[in-house]
Order: sequence, then structure tokens, then C-alpha cells
Amino acid sequence: MTTLQLENIVKRYKNHTVLDNLSLDVKDGETLVLFGPSGAGKTVLLRLVAGVIDPEEGRILIGGEDMTDVDAEHRGIGMAFQNFALFPHMDAFENIATPLEAKRSSADAIKAGVHRVAKLLKIDHVLTHRPKALSNGQKQRTALARALAGSPPLLLLDDPLRNVDAKLRFEMRLELPRVLAAQGATVVYVTQDYKEAMALGDRIAVMSDGRIRQIGTPEDIYNAPADIDIARLFGDPTINLLDVTPNAEVDGVSVLLSDVRIVLPGIPANTAGKSCVIGLRPEALRFVPAGTPGAIPVSVEAETPLNEKTVTLALTVRGREILVSRPAGTPGPASGSAHIAVDCASAFLFDKETGALIARHGSHTGTQGEAA
Amino acid sequence: METTSTLEKTLRLLALTLVVIFFMFPIVWIFLMSFQTNETILRIPPQVIFEPTLSNYTALITGKLTSAAGTLDIAFMKNLGNSVFLSVTSVALALVLGVPAAYAFARHKFKGSEDIAFTLLSFRFAPPLLVLLPLTQYFQWLGLANTYIGLIWVYQLICLPLILWIVRGYFEDISADVEYAYRIAGHSWFATFRRIALPLAGPGIAAAGLLAFIFAWNNFVFALVLASADKQPVTVGALAFVTSSGIQYGQIAAAIVLSVTPTLALALYAQRYLVEGLSLGAVKG
Amino acid sequence: MSGAGLQIKGVDKFYGPVDYGVHAVKKLSMTIEKGEIVALLGSSGCGKTSTLRMIAGFEAVSRGQISLAGREVHTFAPVKRNVAMAFEGYSLYPPLTVRENIAFALKASRLPQNVVDEKVAYIAKLLEIEDILGRYPSSISGGQQQRASLGRALIRDADLHLLDEPMGQLEPQLRAVLRGRIKHYIKEKGLTAILVTHDQTEANALADRIAVMEGGVLQQFDTPQMIKERPANLFTGTFVGEPPMNVFDATVTVSADTAVFGLNEGVRLEYAVSDFSPAVLAELRNRKKVSLGIRPYAVRRAEGGVPAKVSVSQWLGDQTHIAADFAGGTMVLVEHDRVRLGLGDTIALKLDPHSLHVFDGETGVAVSHGPELA
Repeated sequence: MTTLQLENIVKRYKNHTVLDNLSLDVKDGETLVLFGPSGAGKTVLLRLVAGVIDPEEGRILIGGEDMTDVDAEHRGIGMAFQNFALFPHMDAFENIATPLEAKRSSADAIKAGVHRVAKLLKIDHVLTHRPKALSNGQKQRTALARALAGSPPLLLLDDPLRNVDAKLRFEMRLELPRVLAAQGATVVYVTQDYKEAMALGDRIAVMSDGRIRQIGTPEDIYNAPADIDIARLFGDPTINLLDVTPNAEVDGVSVLLSDVRIVLPGIPANTAGKSCVIGLRPEALRFVPAGTPGAIPVSVEAETPLNEKTVTLALTVRGREILVSRPAGTPGPASGSAHIAVDCASAFLFDKETGALIARHGSHTGTQGEAA
Repeated sequence: METTSTLEKTLRLLALTLVVIFFMFPIVWIFLMSFQTNETILRIPPQVIFEPTLSNYTALITGKLTSAAGTLDIAFMKNLGNSVFLSVTSVALALVLGVPAAYAFARHKFKGSEDIAFTLLSFRFAPPLLVLLPLTQYFQWLGLANTYIGLIWVYQLICLPLILWIVRGYFEDISADVEYAYRIAGHSWFATFRRIALPLAGPGIAAAGLLAFIFAWNNFVFALVLASADKQPVTVGALAFVTSSGIQYGQIAAAIVLSVTPTLALALYAQRYLVEGLSLGAVKG
Repeated sequence: MSGAGLQIKGVDKFYGPVDYGVHAVKKLSMTIEKGEIVALLGSSGCGKTSTLRMIAGFEAVSRGQISLAGREVHTFAPVKRNVAMAFEGYSLYPPLTVRENIAFALKASRLPQNVVDEKVAYIAKLLEIEDILGRYPSSISGGQQQRASLGRALIRDADLHLLDEPMGQLEPQLRAVLRGRIKHYIKEKGLTAILVTHDQTEANALADRIAVMEGGVLQQFDTPQMIKERPANLFTGTFVGEPPMNVFDATVTVSADTAVFGLNEGVRLEYAVSDFSPAVLAELRNRKKVSLGIRPYAVRRAEGGVPAKVSVSQWLGDQTHIAADFAGGTMVLVEHDRVRLGLGDTIALKLDPHSLHVFDGETGVAVSHGPELA
């Protein structure tokens, strides 16, 4: 285990600034996920840490030691690439053995080291195969095994599950925590999949346009996204975003949804009259019988099941689209008109102009597992 | 759709046969000529049925050319040896110099790298004769005229740009991530070059080497001007068959067959590896 | 027979000589009603793309018939079949703008310009490509190209719409809404559509019925719900469903009052015979080895269940995915709310008899779903 510190990193390609004065602290033994859309600069950042490209400005410290000018081979890092980057002219064993060979380990030690990680990743039976003869899943496991083989204190994983199919990705997502725990390394993990980020990250750093927009635990980010863009990046189906103009009233600030007045407790009164966007997670909306207080009328457009959920696309009386999701198998309307109850406690209010989160009332922690 | 009529198949076969005949005819004709005497060759109308003779080949190998005008000494075997020596050494030198340079151009983009690479390629644009006249002067001053070293040096004008540009493309095709992965695993850049880049670009290097060899082998002008009889390759040596008493078609044909054989054999031999290697190179990661 | 939909009768596809070449599609028969959305679902090489290409007319039918809207079309050239298609590789015409690409599909119908404009505007709004209508395909992103290609197919009034991997490249934030809108559009216009996909999420979201294919053979053709609740065999059971169904090898012993499944590591699941219908019990008695399947969301944590050690618990915002070591394998559970569990915690798992799927241990064919025979 080790720590990683990035101080005011700037990286430019020609006139384009890829990383813009970026600083980041990765704690000893934690798994930090760098999450963001493509082109955010995640991969470039990882390559800077690995030492295969150099920053224009800033310092990179690994374990407190300045590594900015140290060559890649002397940084003591393990890295797995999105496209696997296996050596096609070597078999799986030789591929995995490369970090051990670099350490001039004895033949026995190399053998033991390769078998240790091969067993951990369940590829001991394909060690004599060349990459061409490996399935996609096996390639991906071989690439991971190679990154782990040298027991590096710092592990960089560049979207390692990107190029495998959904089933393997799911399997690996469940398996990775065990593998990483066995390795005991500090991990920086890059992904574009918010589920992977939430499942694997002790903390998540949300990146876009070469900057870190928000950093925090999965709870922090899901329950209090710093702005609209971040709110849109987390959650499937995507969060509902509707333009509203809050009204100050005696019982607090209210908004109009489908012509129904909904009071948002705890929202500051100075938002009244401002152009805002209300964010409603599809799972925070429920179908309720007509006549339920605060229920908004909608018409159901289409029902599209999603994994273990049923997602319904509905229109408000003003023709605005709203997605509602509920656990599969629970009853709900398939068409026609219906009513939705809004869980005000899990509604977000954003400033329409800046996109920043204005305020959110209450906490959205759901039911506690221990009680279930 | 995908079913083709018999007529279509027949027409297709016919067209293909015509193309093959068109391209193969000169080669086959020369091959046949090499087994005939000048008289049978020059007979009109030409005859397809003739009595084959090995006299052309014996003449070439023994170096004694007997014609109506008397016996002539020719140095064909020596020329052939020169060709082999000059081509092999030139290509070897070009590989030693060109492959690392190609790697540098492929992997390290620095200011002006494109310009330098282009300048090197531009040597191939200039008509050889344009370069030759001043070069002859220089070589005479430097004492390089009519030396193997001088010739090999000039041959770099042919081989080096070719190897540099072809091999560079192959290096660029290797995913940079594969090399990064080896570096990060703890290996120096030189080890990465030797153990990853070289083997993966191997087929490309072989292809470039083969092509350079063929170009070097077929070169005529440089050797014609810069080499005297004992250093001449076959391409220039073949001029000896144009004698005062006529042109020795039979010997020329035999000489062509002999001089084409090494390159042809090399190409056929390498072809297997090239195809195999190219498909390996296509697996990125 | 309605005659208006698509009928595929005993279709075989061989690449190479008939009966000796590669047998890509085997004896495929299915009927798709007019106005229905059907998904051909399978992994690469399962025969779904060959089937699509045969329907579209890009590939000859080796044996069998395809009829569409009452006409036998399998010998027709593609253009004569009245089929609209969205290609996986988009295949937009590069020299035309997005608007022209979409309008191009209406050329043959000779509609007046204002009708064409109206239709294009409508479909563009639906697919959120209004602001790129004037751009050329090369200057827009993959997701936008895919939407343009979808628009070009959906705008047509064809007897059948073929959509090849229609949503693979769509921006994740747009996917849920677009799925809803496209489904609504197809239903509202009464179009008949076949989508070919390897992504079961897409198939589940859009299709009325799903045809699961594997090895050139149609495995099951049913509604998403039936496929989930009553998979025909182990393949469909594990292929459809995310996360996939948990499967364990088991021996089965049926006595006078109990049915006992013996799993690895001595795990015994004991049920009363009343939990199963007599027919199921008879089938179980005939078998020694079975595969026992249970969907991740059907596994319950309850007092008195089989103890299992948690290997990972991942909260995804709206669901928690838990994996636990169970009977020498891994049991995956999905809960719809936040569950806090640590690595190594022990939980008790209950597998209710009504959510058990039993498959034959050798053939993988479904024996029973819950208390009923498959």
C-alpha cells in the first residue's frame, strides 16, 4: 500500500488543455474511482501517474516521494489497460511473468508468483495459451493478473471491464473487491460506468473537461450531486430534470408539477422566483391511487422493463416527460392516466443558470439492511 | 443473389486465364529462350517445339562465350557474386541503421521529426542520374569510386528510405499500450524495443528487407557509373552480351533466369512468413 | 393466420453447400403478428443476424419460406420486400445531411414536400436530433449517427421494420427516455418491428415477445415475463436476466413427505411435498441430478435459512447487489434498497419453493418452475 498525490497537474496537447491544474489525494489502501464521460481526461491522468507521459506542470508523489521525473519502470506500479495490451507473441504465463522478470526473480519465484495471481483470477488452466487463443474474458483476466503479479503497492486500472460483455462485467464487478483485497494495494480505477464506480469505489472522483468536479463516497455523490451534470451521470434510468420556478408560501417553498402545488420543506425562501431545475430520481417516484394528497396526474406513454425494475415513461399535464421506476413484479399502470406521488425528501433543486445544487432536504438513505 | 450461373463461372474463368497468360507470357518465353541457341531464337516464324540445349548455361558458368566471331571471356558468375554481396550487405546495413531510426520516428514525435523523415524519403524522388554526376566527382576525390564500400554507401539511397518508411508504419501499428505495459512492468526502453517492438514488427521488417533487397538487386545506373567490371552486379554485367558480332539472346535469357532465381526464391520463401506474421501483427493486445 | 405479419416457416441457412456448409440457422419457424415488436436475442454467432439478413433479403434462404403481409417474399430482391431497416453500422449516406438522410427514406413514396418536412421534424424531435439535422454524418457523434439511422428507418411506412442493434451506441443518459418514446411511437403507429440485439436490457425494454437464439436454434419465443418466469432451458434461464440466475448442481431425493435437494458442501434444501404438484414430484423422482436455479431477486434473507458468508455487497444507488459464498459457489442477491453488509458477514438465505427453477442435470431442459411443471 502507498499513497498518491497529484499537485496542480497541467497537461496540454497542442492548444488543448487535457488536465487543468488538477490536484488529487489518494489515501493509503483505498480504491479511488475516477469516473467521467469519455474525453474527461481520466486515461491521460492515469498515464501521467504511470509515467508513460509527462505533465507540463505539477508534481506526482507516490508514497510521499516525488516521482514526476522518474521513468515508468522505476515507479513500482501495476497497470491494466482497457484494450488489455497483452503481448501477442508471448503466452499467458510469459505475459503475467513480465513484472517478475523485471525484478530479476528466480525461475521458481516467477513460477510461484504467476501461479498465485493466476489462481486468484481463475486462469491457471489457460497459462500456456497465447492471447489469440484466449476468450475475451480470459484476456481481461490475464491483463489483470499481469498488473497484479509484481505485487505493486499502487495499482492503476484503466477501465478494465470495458471490453468484456455484460455478463462477464457483472461477474468481475462482484469478484474484483476480493481480488483487490487479497492484493492489498492502493487502487486508482477508471471507469465510465456509474454502477462500477459506486460498487468498487471507496471514494469516487467525478471528472469532466480535465477537472475534478466532485469527490466523495458513493453516498455523497448519489445523495448530494454537486450539480446537474453529475446528477445526470449517476442513476439508471437517468434522473428526471424539470424546469420549475419556486414560490414562497407560508408553509415553505413550493413548486408546480403537473399543475399540482408541491411543498419542498427546507428549501431557502430566497430561491423564490428564480429559474430552477428540480431533480427527481425515478425510484423516488411512486404510482398512487387518484386522490392521494400531493399526487400529480400523468398519462402513461410506455412501459419498458429494465433489469429487475419496471420503468414507465409518463407525461405530465404540461406534456413534460417523467420516468418512474419500481421493482419488477409490483403493480403499476401500463397505460392511460395515473397519479404519481413525489417523495419531496429526495428531490434536488438546482440553479438553472449555474447548474449547481441549491439545497436538498432530508437524507435519502433508504431502509437499513440490518432491519430487513 | 449468391448463386452464380454456369455461364458466369465460365466467363470468369476465361477472363482470369487471359490475364494470367498476358502476365506470364514474357517470363515463360524467356525461360524457353534460355534453352535455345541464337539461331533457333531468331528463326522466323518462331517455333515452340525445339531441341533444348544447356549451352547457354554452360557458357555462363564456365565464363567462355563461344559465338560465330570467336570466344569471349565473360564474368557472369563474378557479377552474380557481386550482386549477392552488394545487395545483402546494403540491406543489412540499411536494417541496422533504418530500424532503430524508424522506431524513433514512430514513437517519438519531436519538432521537425516529420520533416526529417520526409527529407529521407525525398532521396527517392530525385532522378538517380542527377545525384550521380556530382557523386562520381566526390567519390573520386575520396577514393571511394569503384570500391564495394562506396557502392554499398550509394545503395543506402535505395534501401534506407524504403526500410525507414515501411518499418515505421509497422511500429506505429503496434499499440503504444503494449509497449507501455512492458515499461510499467519494470523494463527499460531498450528492453521494450528489443523484446516487444522488434518481434512484433518482425514481419514488417522482413517485408521491408525483402523489398529493399529486390530494389538493390535490380539497380543498374549507380553500378554502371560507379563500378568497373570486377565490381559490377549482373544488371550491368549483362551488357557484355551485346557484342560487336550481335546480341546473344540465348545467354541473355539464361542470365535473366539465373539472376531472377535468387530474388524469386527469397520472395516465395518469405511469403509464408509474411502472411503468418502480418496476421499476428493484426492482433493488437 | 392473420396473414398480415411475418411468417418464417422451416427456414435453414447454410453458408456453403446446402446440408454440408456451416449450418447457421436451423429449422427456424416463427410467426410475428402485425403490430408486434419482437426481439431476436442471442450472443454473436447465434444465427440472429443471419435470420435478419434473410428477412431483409441480403442473404438467400437455403430452405424454407418467409412471407410478409401475405406475400411470399423470400425470393424477392430487398427493395421489393417493403422492409425498412436500421443498420448496426448506421450506413448513413455521407454526402447527405442528417435531414436529407432521413427524408431520403420517403423518396419512393412521392409525398409532397411539406408532409416530408413535417414527418422529419416529428421524428427528429422524438430522437432529439433537431439541432443536428443540417450536419453531415461525419461531423456527428456515434450516438447521434445511430439516432439518425433509427430515424431513417422509423419514418418509413413499411410492412416490417428491422432494427439491428438499434441502441448500442446511444448516450446512457438518453437511453431510458428514448426507449420509452420509440416504443410509444411504434405502438401508436401500429408498426411491426424486429430488433436484433445481444443486449437483453434492450430486448426486455422494447419487445412484446423475445426470441432467444443460440447455435442457430430458436430456444424460446415468448413474452419477457414468461421467459423470466418460465425459461425453457438452462440456457435461456441464465442468458436472460440481469444479474443472471444463480445455478447450482444438486441431487434430488423425494420421500413420502419431503423433497430434498442436496447441494455441494453438504447444503441441504428441504421442502414439503405439498410445495410441488404431484406431476413435478413424479418428474423429480425420475431424476438423480438436476440443476437448481433461482433468480437473484427471489433469494430472501430470513431467519432459519442456509448460512452464507458475504463476499461482496455493492450499493448502486437504487439497488444493492450482494454476493455470498453458498454451496461451493456464489449466490447473488438483489435488494431494492440500501443494505449495509460487511465482507465476511454471515447471512441466512431462504430459497422459496415457488421461485425455484429445476432443470434436467444432463439436457438442461426445464423440469419445473415453482410448484408447476415446466
